[in-house]
Amino acid sequence: MNDDDLVIQTQTLVKRYGRKHALDGLSLAIPRGRIHAIVGANGAGKSTLFRILLGFLPASSGQARILGVDSQQLAPADRSRIGFVNEEHTLPGWMTVAAVTAMQKKHYPRWRQPAFDEVIGHYQVELGQKVRQLSRGERAGLNLALALAQSPELLVLDEPTLGLDVVAKRAFLESLLYSNAAGDCTVIYCSHQMEEIERVADNLVILERGRLAHMSAPDEFCERVSLWVADIPFQGPPPETVPGLLQRQQLDGLQHYLVLDQDEGFADFLRSVGARSVQSMPVSLDRAVNGFLAKHHAAPTELRHA
Amino acid sequence: MRELWRAELLRFRTWAIAAAIVHLAVLGFFARLVDPLQQPDFVHAIVAGVYFVAGLLLGLYQMGSYRRPNAWLNLLHRPLQPGRIVAALSLAAGALLCLAVLLPLALLVLGQWAWTARVVDLRHAALPLAAGMIATGGYLAGAIAMLSTRRVAAFALVPPALWFASQANGVWALAMQALVLAWLAAWLRVVFKPDLTAPPRTAAGQVLAAVPLAFGTYVLLVMASLGYQLGWMVVGSHPLNGTPPEGGYVQASRAESGELLLAGLAGSGHAQAPLWRQQVPLSHLTSMAPEVTVYPVAHALTNPTLAEFDDAENRRRYTFSHDAGRFLGVNPVNREREGVLGIGEKQLRFPTPPLLVGDGLMATAQALYRYDSDRQQVDVVLELPPTETLAASPAITGEAVMVLSDQALYLYDARAFRAGTGPLAPRQRLPLPLGGARLARIDLMELIDGELVSITVGRGSIDGPGEAWQSVWHWPARGTPEQVARRDLAPDFPLLLRHYEWWVSPLLRHARLALVQLFAADNPLQAGGPHQRPVAAWLAAGLAALFAAAGSLAWGRRQVLGRRARAVWVLACLLVGLPGLLAQWLLYPRRDHA
Repeated sequence: MNDDDLVIQTQTLVKRYGRKHALDGLSLAIPRGRIHAIVGANGAGKSTLFRILLGFLPASSGQARILGVDSQQLAPADRSRIGFVNEEHTLPGWMTVAAVTAMQKKHYPRWRQPAFDEVIGHYQVELGQKVRQLSRGERAGLNLALALAQSPELLVLDEPTLGLDVVAKRAFLESLLYSNAAGDCTVIYCSHQMEEIERVADNLVILERGRLAHMSAPDEFCERVSLWVADIPFQGPPPETVPGLLQRQQLDGLQHYLVLDQDEGFADFLRSVGARSVQSMPVSLDRAVNGFLAKHHAAPTELRHA
Repeated sequence: MRELWRAELLRFRTWAIAAAIVHLAVLGFFARLVDPLQQPDFVHAIVAGVYFVAGLLLGLYQMGSYRRPNAWLNLLHRPLQPGRIVAALSLAAGALLCLAVLLPLALLVLGQWAWTARVVDLRHAALPLAAGMIATGGYLAGAIAMLSTRRVAAFALVPPALWFASQANGVWALAMQALVLAWLAAWLRVVFKPDLTAPPRTAAGQVLAAVPLAFGTYVLLVMASLGYQLGWMVVGSHPLNGTPPEGGYVQASRAESGELLLAGLAGSGHAQAPLWRQQVPLSHLTSMAPEVTVYPVAHALTNPTLAEFDDAENRRRYTFSHDAGRFLGVNPVNREREGVLGIGEKQLRFPTPPLLVGDGLMATAQALYRYDSDRQQVDVVLELPPTETLAASPAITGEAVMVLSDQALYLYDARAFRAGTGPLAPRQRLPLPLGGARLARIDLMELIDGELVSITVGRGSIDGPGEAWQSVWHWPARGTPEQVARRDLAPDFPLLLRHYEWWVSPLLRHARLALVQLFAADNPLQAGGPHQRPVAAWLAAGLAALFAAAGSLAWGRRQVLGRRARAVWVLACLLVGLPGLLAQWLLYPRRDHA
């Protein structure tokens, strides 16, 4: 793939805070177009990655490029091509919606008023209202409208629905999905909400401990993870002998194994360790991602093998 | 940029208007009690400090609200150069401070000029401007402190500290303020960048940030010697905090006149010395020391002391006007302008603004004047040669009046002095053999054929450089003065401690003195030196510089510094010494943390 086709490109990117690695040799290439979801547990390095990409944090080593430009060399013109919406929806609370809009309009040469109107139309926002008078959901909507009206080539949404109620979340997602402007740019969507990811994402990027753990379409990832329920007398095999094990649970006397990249051969394995009955079933993205991330989550040894 | 500026104005508009109203009310209240424009230096310094703190708080609050990671990203991630963004924020803050600080003060000056009989000179028109600049300087320092790393933050106060140390006056004081303001503005531009933890990118930016750090650490290092002295006091052998050592300068400076004269004469081989020693306990002795440190300067923004006095008998309050060069009178009952006081019957202009020294006397650098309430006139009492400067108020000793200049001791006839018939001619003149050192005290004993004078020299030598000695002179009524005894006074502090301020960084010490004197006229009353530095001080300076350079070399490898920059820092540390090394340590993060 040509470098120009990539919106984000990192090569062995490292960021250390003292002895701790926030990013540990991350190599990532995200192609232009579509909606890419970045997920990871807290501390996986998502926010650090965005801060490095936008030139707000230096990397300890490695390279980071955004829209083909070195992150530490971003010029104002480059910034106009990148929209950014964070979870705080930091907007000047003392200004009216109209004043904030007018200010952004002056700053962004490719401002598209129809894009703004289209998104803000999903909310009951008056132009004369002060930003601090808006609800959190309305502020999120205003922030998204402002970002999309800038006609960005890349729009980064960093947990934009954090703290929103169900109605506000739905309004936000709909205003994003049904916006024509969103269709014209590449969207990086970072969230912990798997139902949102499932709904919006074309591509799933999983970060774990500052490294790229997985990248594919969400459906493909779900296909890699499967849940097996087996009736095994006593405790079953030791966890370290279970191939591809992500998570093990004992419910109602049955052993539940969440495993990665296992085919029908796994049933034979279970039978070989004494399973009287074996049943396989697909899992949701939420369960698949949680199981995937939980595998390496720090925990006392006895809990991890429980 | 204009939109951001407008947005920031809007943000603090209500607060600024409220502050302006409160400020005007407070000024109005004080104007009812005193004349705010004529207050002495220290009052204006306190008020300036309040303006500075107001600006500082605005800078801390404004940038504090933006420096949270998400807010910072939201502010800077836009198609505008960071320089334009910070300019918009700073110009808005400057405009708000003008509204809250400059405008009420300008209204006060205008109001006093238009509606009162108080003296308002042209120089007072610059006071609101100075106040506005001080408040803006506070804002810039606060903004720099908030956007810098934690260990660098406090050093944002270093450039504004120069305002309070500077000896510049009038328009030159404004120039000094503008210079510091420009430095702070440039420094704020340097720290205003997306990555707040990174050192400045350009070489110029690094110099802008490093110079205040070096000066600040230099001052801290010098202050560290106070810690040493504190320990000395705890032990109980500190010369200034107990019984001073025998034969030292501290003992001489604290001694009674008689004790000092006896100590000075102890080693005298003069034929009359035994007789004088017998006379000392029986005679009347007078002591005086230089007490004037600075004279008012024409068109200076503030007065070193209060520049007004009351004539209760004639119901007048006289205030010196720099524009008129005379005292202008006001009747405190009807508050109408009444009377003008110049020099003599012709009401001539004073050559420079006089210093009120009590008993109706007022002094300029070369002359002493007296106000005669009966005649409502100021007369010349005495005049010094144009190359000399009056250093103390006159002291009467028997039939004579002692007058001290920076170069000589004069005796005048006391009766003529009291009668006020002047200008008087001196009866005797004794040139002071100071040789670059600073006079500490003069002690005089009257003899039948003249006077015996003890001259003690070495002011500033306790914890600083310079020699200290005492010489005793026989000063006949007619004839040439003769030195009859001389003894060196032993230094009370260890050699390296006395020269510590110098050897810790000779370059920064000279730079500090030069900056304090920048745009200022020479003040002969504070002149001293140049001092010879002992070999030990040179060695200490050399070792400190070598240590700093070695430290720079070792530390630089662990910091975010290129090879060329490391070489420059090693060189800088050789020149600047330990403060350079500390500045380097403060400015650059460790490579591991990058």
